[in-house]
Amino acid sequence: MIRLKARPVTCGIAEGEALVTRMAISFTGGMDPDTGIIREPGHELFGQSVAGKILVFPTGKGSTTGSWQYYAAFKRGVAPKGIINEKAEGVVAVSAIITGTPMVHQLEENPMDCIETGDFVRIDADKGVVEIIKK
Amino acid sequence: MELTAEQKGMVAGEQGEGVRRAMEILMAYGQCYDAKRLIPVTSVHMAGNFPVLLDEGIEWLEDLAQGGTRVRVFTTKNPEMYDPLQADEMNIPVRLRQRQGRIHEVLKKLGIVPTYTCHHYLVGNVPRFGDHIAWASSGSQVFANSVIGARSNRDGDHVALAAAIAGVIPEWGLHIKENRKADLIVDVGGLPLNDYGPEDFKALGWSLGKKIGACIPAFINLPSDLHIEKIKGLLYTLTVTGAMGMVHMVGITPEAQDLEAALGKDHGEIPVLSASPEDVDKAYGEISSGTSDKIDLVIFGCPQCSIQEVQEIAGLMEGKRVHAETRFWICTSAWVKLLCERMGILKTLTDSGVRVVSDVGAADGPHLYLKEQGVRVIAVNSARASYYAHNLFGMETWFGSTKDCVLSAISGKWEGRK
Repeated sequence: MIRLKARPVTCGIAEGEALVTRMAISFTGGMDPDTGIIREPGHELFGQSVAGKILVFPTGKGSTTGSWQYYAAFKRGVAPKGIINEKAEGVVAVSAIITGTPMVHQLEENPMDCIETGDFVRIDADKGVVEIIKK
Repeated sequence: MELTAEQKGMVAGEQGEGVRRAMEILMAYGQCYDAKRLIPVTSVHMAGNFPVLLDEGIEWLEDLAQGGTRVRVFTTKNPEMYDPLQADEMNIPVRLRQRQGRIHEVLKKLGIVPTYTCHHYLVGNVPRFGDHIAWASSGSQVFANSVIGARSNRDGDHVALAAAIAGVIPEWGLHIKENRKADLIVDVGGLPLNDYGPEDFKALGWSLGKKIGACIPAFINLPSDLHIEKIKGLLYTLTVTGAMGMVHMVGITPEAQDLEAALGKDHGEIPVLSASPEDVDKAYGEISSGTSDKIDLVIFGCPQCSIQEVQEIAGLMEGKRVHAETRFWICTSAWVKLLCERMGILKTLTDSGVRVVSDVGAADGPHLYLKEQGVRVIAVNSARASYYAHNLFGMETWFGSTKDCVLSAISGKWEGRK
């Protein structure tokens, strides 16, 4: 098991299967709030659902209305369980706060290098720790 | 972040659950940008309407308003979906009326002034030079930074609302003087600017926005007496294809009376971008997405029309009639509509087949039901409206000058550039 220190953005604990991309994500236009499926043409995660995953991506991008779309996805049960960012930006951080989604960033190592899609990941945003069990 | 004793109490819930939640949002947001402290804001503007909020967003606002949470800073609201005074004659679907009704009620409960306008700075929400504000609407946010000299980041609605409720915002980005300096020079001296109408400045903004991205540009060789409609045309389009929070127009922007002031001291090598007439020509082709010539709707008002723009349109329509198979809308605020009535323009326009619609903008809200009513091809003088109506609602769009659009409304087919 790999154990990494991280900076919390929100609090709480989440664990589950990782979904990893090296591309930034926009929740407005980029993610279908009905299904949680990434629908941005050309995105690495195009066609994949973020629902129930520990979503690992570098940072957010795009419209500042993204937090409304994320909130709708959360209420419809298709949001990620937890979020790990390389460096958080405002839209994703606010999305996590208003939905109570555990979220950390600035890990002691680059999360996209240490975590692969399918790994089992546990975020402890209260203690600022990420634990990874490779698949 | 360093908090005052009062702010610590707000985080702990001493001023109620709404303020606690607002502080939670602001703290997480500030942490992303390593903000050192929270500073007071003097003005807030909220952007989201129903197509953005969705049902869940309305519930979130209603939940926030529970227990009497109210804004403590003057806060105005962007346009909604329809003009409540014309709802019946315009066949607005009941489900949309219910949504807009709920939004209206919750805004009142929160103490937000239901202006339903995106020219809020023309009707009372006027910050002063140097004021810290939170305007969640990319066009007017850049207008505030670049024309007024007030300071706002590209904040979303949740952050803007939290700032309105807590009265403070994290100090980062464009709130800090040193971060407001230009890091790119844009030379428009090679363009025939004296011959350019507002539509050409919009095409220019479209072309340059993509190249400028999130940089802070300093425009040089713009005439210092540039008309406000041309300034708005440029700024409101730059923020469609780009993500800049501030634009220095040297000789116009209060903080850029000369290039040196825009760049600041101690700057390194600054790249220079120049625009050519061909770039502007090319943008026309990119902005329009139309294929069919027959125009279902001519729609003005993104941002909403000022009284001067309505006067111009009324002048062009004098003695003419709108084509039987084409609709013609002027979207504006309730204030401007009232002025139209007072000046007798409303009757002249109505008699010639033009509808003046208040509380909505031409970019998004109305397209929800216009599409259901069979509107497929629209003509606009706003590149911003063209982009959103096409990308969010699938409308076919033609973009041109105000005159092109008016002529198209009269003939029923597109009369502008293709």
